[in-house]
Amino acid sequence: MPDETYLDPTDSVAVPRRTAPRPSSLDGKVVTLLDISKAKGDHLLDRLEALFRERTGATAIVRKRKPTFARPAPDDLRREIVGSTDVVVEALAD
Amino acid sequence: MLGGRPLAEPVTDDDPIEALYARGVTDGLPAVPPTAARVRRAVAASGRAAGELIALVPPNYGRATVEKIAVNAVMAGCRPEYLPAVLAAVEAVCDEAFDLHGVAATTNSPSPLLILNGPVRRTLDVNCGAGLFGSGWRANATIGRAVRLVCVNLGGAAPGLVSMSTLAHPGRYTYCIGEHEEASPWESLAVEHGFAPEDSTVAALAADAPLSVYDHASRRAEDLLATIAASLAVIVHHKMTHWGDTLLVLGPEHARTIAGDGWRKADVRRFLFERLRRPVRDLVPGRDGGEGLPEHVLRKFASPADDATPIPKFRSPDNLKVLVAGGTAGRFSAIVPGWTFANASRMVFRKIATP
Repeated sequence: MPDETYLDPTDSVAVPRRTAPRPSSLDGKVVTLLDISKAKGDHLLDRLEALFRERTGATAIVRKRKPTFARPAPDDLRREIVGSTDVVVEALAD
Repeated sequence: MLGGRPLAEPVTDDDPIEALYARGVTDGLPAVPPTAARVRRAVAASGRAAGELIALVPPNYGRATVEKIAVNAVMAGCRPEYLPAVLAAVEAVCDEAFDLHGVAATTNSPSPLLILNGPVRRTLDVNCGAGLFGSGWRANATIGRAVRLVCVNLGGAAPGLVSMSTLAHPGRYTYCIGEHEEASPWESLAVEHGFAPEDSTVAALAADAPLSVYDHASRRAEDLLATIAASLAVIVHHKMTHWGDTLLVLGPEHARTIAGDGWRKADVRRFLFERLRRPVRDLVPGRDGGEGLPEHVLRKFASPADDATPIPKFRSPDNLKVLVAGGTAGRFSAIVPGWTFANASRMVFRKIATP
């Protein structure tokens, strides 16, 4: 063992993040489909929306779009999604 | 007074270098053990309080205090007097305009390139001359490396977990140069951006690897810049348009040829900008490669396949950042492509505080 202690280069107070629990069913849920503005993201989400409508009991399917894939979603958009939806599907494409 | 916690006890190894590897806090190269004494010296050299918050580092928004940055700078091998430059560089990459969240997480390859201007280049012995993108200079090697360690240890940009670059490039170990202001016929990059010649500054550019351009034959500004334009034309992909900040590093001999014809940097930018426009018909997806103008842009043209309307490679001449650097022998320049989609990362400057 080294004879000196070393200082921690990481942020020791950062709280580890956990993903939210996954729902067992989409029945009665509001689903947001988030397009990150990558080419053909809409193709993928169009197909997913059709499948969700056909196969699930989701009460609403909402489409949202980030202004650019190169940056995080603006705070307003994040708040809007968090406050009004149960499930988010974020579409990466290209 | 340092406030940081000690690292947890090492798992298995009594070798200090191996102990740091075991904790997963290096960049793959051995790191200098961040003892309290070393960190204290670095903090003292900054003239700032250990607990002062410099930035929150995306994408995990870890708290980069002077002390935390000093720990990473020590590990990178920085001398204590480098700390003000490292602090300014961390501030620059954490500026909203730099978009470190995108830079750190993208599948593209960028790494922050740090460009030093002003007296700091001499006081810290920053390589601005022969081989400046290469190895052999402690300041270049360790200031760039310190910023990388901050991005990983405080920003959380662990390769393959959060940082999803498909390829990346060797500049992710370190990427730091100085402008060879003494060999430049023009004002420096920093002075062009509003700083005084006696200011020490750091600029950060989200950058791909440098691409060298060789032209030993051109003796006129127009001929030489035609060569350089042809290499600039293919960056990102050859049909990319409306690209943003990108660096052109003119070797001193090339700069002299251009300035010898009475050209200023603004003339260089304008010439390149105009020469790098291509007609819509050359940019249609599916011809010479699948990439090209996106559908929503093509829809603005009645007959894209015949349209001669010129579309610029860069959004504006000012996106072409020009500086002079490198050894005084050799007719070479380098292009450093930015990762600069519209509304994404831009070059950011910070003044380096004198302690």
